[in-house]
Amino acid sequence: MEINAREKADVIIFDIDGEIRRSDITDITLHQLVKDQLEGGKKNILLNFENVEFIDSFGVGEILASYISTNNLGGKLKIAKISKKLYLVFQVTMLTKVLEIFDEEEMALDSFFKE
Amino acid sequence: MAKNRVHKLLSRFVDVRPEETSTSVLMFFYFFLITSSAWVIKPVKISLFLDKLSFKELPYAYFLTALLIGFVVTLNTRLIHVMKRHVYISLSLTFFISNLFIFWMLFKLQWQWLPMIYWLWAEIFTITSVTQFWILINDIYTPRQAKRLIGFLVSGGLLGGVAGSLLASFLVKIVKTENLLLIAPLMLGICLVIVNLAPRLFKKEKKEEAEVSEKKKKPRIKYTESFRLVRKNRHLLFLSGIMIAAIVVTTTIDFQFNSVVENHFSKFDNPKDSMTSFLATFFAILLVFSYLLHVFCTSRILRNFGIRAALLIAPFFLLIGSAAIFIVATPALISWAVLMKGTDKSLAHSLNQSVRELLYIPISPEIKYKAKVFIDMFVNKLAKGLAAILLILFVSFSHFSIENIEKIRFISILAVVFIFIWILLNLQITREYVNIVKRNLKIKWQDADKLIGEKIDIDMTKLVFDTLESKKRSSVLYAMNLFDLVKKEKMSPELKKIISYKSNEIRASSLDSLLELDGEVLIPEMEDSLEEESLDAQVKEIMALDVYQELMNEQIGKILRKKDTEEVVSRMEAAKIMGRMAPTLSLIHNLGKLLRDESPEVVSYAVESAGKLKRRELVPYIIQHLSNPSIKQVANKALTGYGIKIIGTLKDYLSDPEEDIKMRKAIPDILAQIGSQRTADILALELKKENKDVEIDTIDAMCKLRKKDPQIRFPEKIVLTEAKLKIKECYLIMMEIYSLISDKNKEFLAKDLENNLARSLKQVFDLMSLIYSQEDIVTAYQNICDGTKKSIDYSIELLDNIIKREIMEVLLPLIDDIPLEDKVKKGKKLLKSLEKVEFA
Repeated sequence: MEINAREKADVIIFDIDGEIRRSDITDITLHQLVKDQLEGGKKNILLNFENVEFIDSFGVGEILASYISTNNLGGKLKIAKISKKLYLVFQVTMLTKVLEIFDEEEMALDSFFKE
Repeated sequence: MAKNRVHKLLSRFVDVRPEETSTSVLMFFYFFLITSSAWVIKPVKISLFLDKLSFKELPYAYFLTALLIGFVVTLNTRLIHVMKRHVYISLSLTFFISNLFIFWMLFKLQWQWLPMIYWLWAEIFTITSVTQFWILINDIYTPRQAKRLIGFLVSGGLLGGVAGSLLASFLVKIVKTENLLLIAPLMLGICLVIVNLAPRLFKKEKKEEAEVSEKKKKPRIKYTESFRLVRKNRHLLFLSGIMIAAIVVTTTIDFQFNSVVENHFSKFDNPKDSMTSFLATFFAILLVFSYLLHVFCTSRILRNFGIRAALLIAPFFLLIGSAAIFIVATPALISWAVLMKGTDKSLAHSLNQSVRELLYIPISPEIKYKAKVFIDMFVNKLAKGLAAILLILFVSFSHFSIENIEKIRFISILAVVFIFIWILLNLQITREYVNIVKRNLKIKWQDADKLIGEKIDIDMTKLVFDTLESKKRSSVLYAMNLFDLVKKEKMSPELKKIISYKSNEIRASSLDSLLELDGEVLIPEMEDSLEEESLDAQVKEIMALDVYQELMNEQIGKILRKKDTEEVVSRMEAAKIMGRMAPTLSLIHNLGKLLRDESPEVVSYAVESAGKLKRRELVPYIIQHLSNPSIKQVANKALTGYGIKIIGTLKDYLSDPEEDIKMRKAIPDILAQIGSQRTADILALELKKENKDVEIDTIDAMCKLRKKDPQIRFPEKIVLTEAKLKIKECYLIMMEIYSLISDKNKEFLAKDLENNLARSLKQVFDLMSLIYSQEDIVTAYQNICDGTKKSIDYSIELLDNIIKREIMEVLLPLIDDIPLEDKVKKGKKLLKSLEKVEFA
């Protein structure tokens, strides 16, 4: 898994590439990266899953932990371009009611500005 | 008018219906005259034989009879099929009348072997005429009618025998033995008139099945076919075995009796007429005794002890008698012979005859007809032949003669062996008898619960409806329901089509966008995703995450804090998801709130989730919804899912009169579904309280429980006490109906009462099914409801053999096919004694 951060109009976008699974844990996790940004004062986070082929429950846990951390600091964490299957998992677990999920990055960014 | 008077007179002694009176009286006299003739012919037969020949020739007479009867039976069977029944019997009677005149003339010639020929003829006459009578009876009456009237008809035969014997005993002193033969033709002449009068009556009264069989014109019975029929039918095989054993015993006793009689009268001046007089008097006394035994004991024995005990009485007494010969002194042998022959014949003419005819009742008329001819004539003679061969062997090897009469004792060993075989076969046939009655009864309709359970998966159907319903309201709810649906069962193509049907209003839902590809519904993809086992595992793993729990509990808390009624869908979603989450304290607290939600849809999902979590704290909330018609089913299922751990709680609610009645009424069914001996005990205790509010539900639940697990046992005393009350209730309703029946203004009230009666009677049977075989009781009940004479008869026969006699006695008037007036009369009598009757 490879995670690259970029910034666009005060929103930190994490482009995630590859598979997010427990067996591939590196020293720095997604949650840690998000926390680093939050500590740096960046409170608008967008996770871009366009190039994510697979995500297991550990990966979902990372997303949720990142969401909680962002939320606790008064920030916003949104998600864009997740696979149909992951969306289905989020529906079944009712996470679509908690997380803001967008089909396109632009739409997600717009939503930050509208708020 | 005259017919009415005869019926009134007859009905004092016999359970006869007005329409049966003429036939029954005629058949009574027919049998009376046939047996009168037979019992005049019989002492003449024996004394002439013993006078001209000797008892040592008796086994040959037995053997030749057996051999000859085989041919006669064949002829009889053929003639029965080529001729009309009454024509055939008329011709037989004419043949026998003419023969009697011929014998009378030939006896003047003093031929030594003529008594042997007369013996054989007399045997043929007796067997043919009596069998013809029973065939007529089987043609005319249904099993139930026959059971009622058989005592009366057999009485005719016994009285005829007494009359014939007394006549012979009296006249022999005036006219000599041979001249007695001229009495019989007169009696047979009257039988001829009855047979030709009877067909008109039979046509009127003939039962359905006899008509059918007449129309079908059965093909001629072949012996091989009859034999195959008997061989294949266990019941008929046992019946044949019993007949063989009983006849060997009877023939042995007959041989012993005649030997002792010849020995005794050989010292007299006129041994032939003295023997005729003695035999005729003996037979008269024997028949009077048999008659008294029959009138006072047969029905009582059958009613109080049943067929099984009735079958064992004769072999038991004969066993004692046969064993007793070894301690009887030689001069007293005549007394022993009289007692032994008396016991054998009196029981054969009364109890054994009635019981044997009863054993034919469960056999179908078609089989009975074919088998009866074979068993009564062929098997009977086969047994006689076997006994004759055994006796010939005994006489040859023991050098037995009139001078060493004491050797007669050893023949009793043969009798004892066959009495044991007889007893064993009697025990077997009673088991088979009940099985055959059962086979004659078919289940008329399936239990609704069972039928629905087999045809419809109610849980699945509900889930499909929930899925379709949620599709319109929430993509999350839709996804969750769909997920459950796929997890539950692979979806059929039809179901996929139903689920994927997209109406305009839901086109915009988020899940559909996920499932849609180029405007087409992406059902295969949806299905593939949902059906992957890894998806289920992934969902479970996610929901087990601490972060998930934390986030979702917070989300649920937010939803619950909103008072907006428009948030109903969110609360439904929350209620649904909670069933899959870990039951933390806060979740249980929130679910408790949702269980009290004002929206029934929310409550429905909450109850379902509570059922999955099975937390005891939630039970009181769920129970409250048992009184809510829209939630009742879900609540029932949820509580059932808790299983035995909430039995105590359910019991408390059930027995608390302060609680909502609708809720209490729903509890017995849940206890039945949980199903254990403990729930059975709780239900039985509730029944004992005689609480009318929940009585019907409790009985229903007990039946359901027994159906589910036949090993479950209910306390007999409690169940039967309740059954007694219900029977009493039935009689009281019946009396009320009877009092209203003549009042046209109260027709509606009578109709209502009829419904109440049907319901109470159903409950009586339900209660019986808790103690006895549920299948048998249900079958009997359904066939009684079916209402045809045949189905009622067989049902009563089945009940008679499986339930306690005391219960059957009070139940019978309620179910028997008799007029309401008679039922009420019997009911009034029974009500007085019902309190004293102890069922359990």
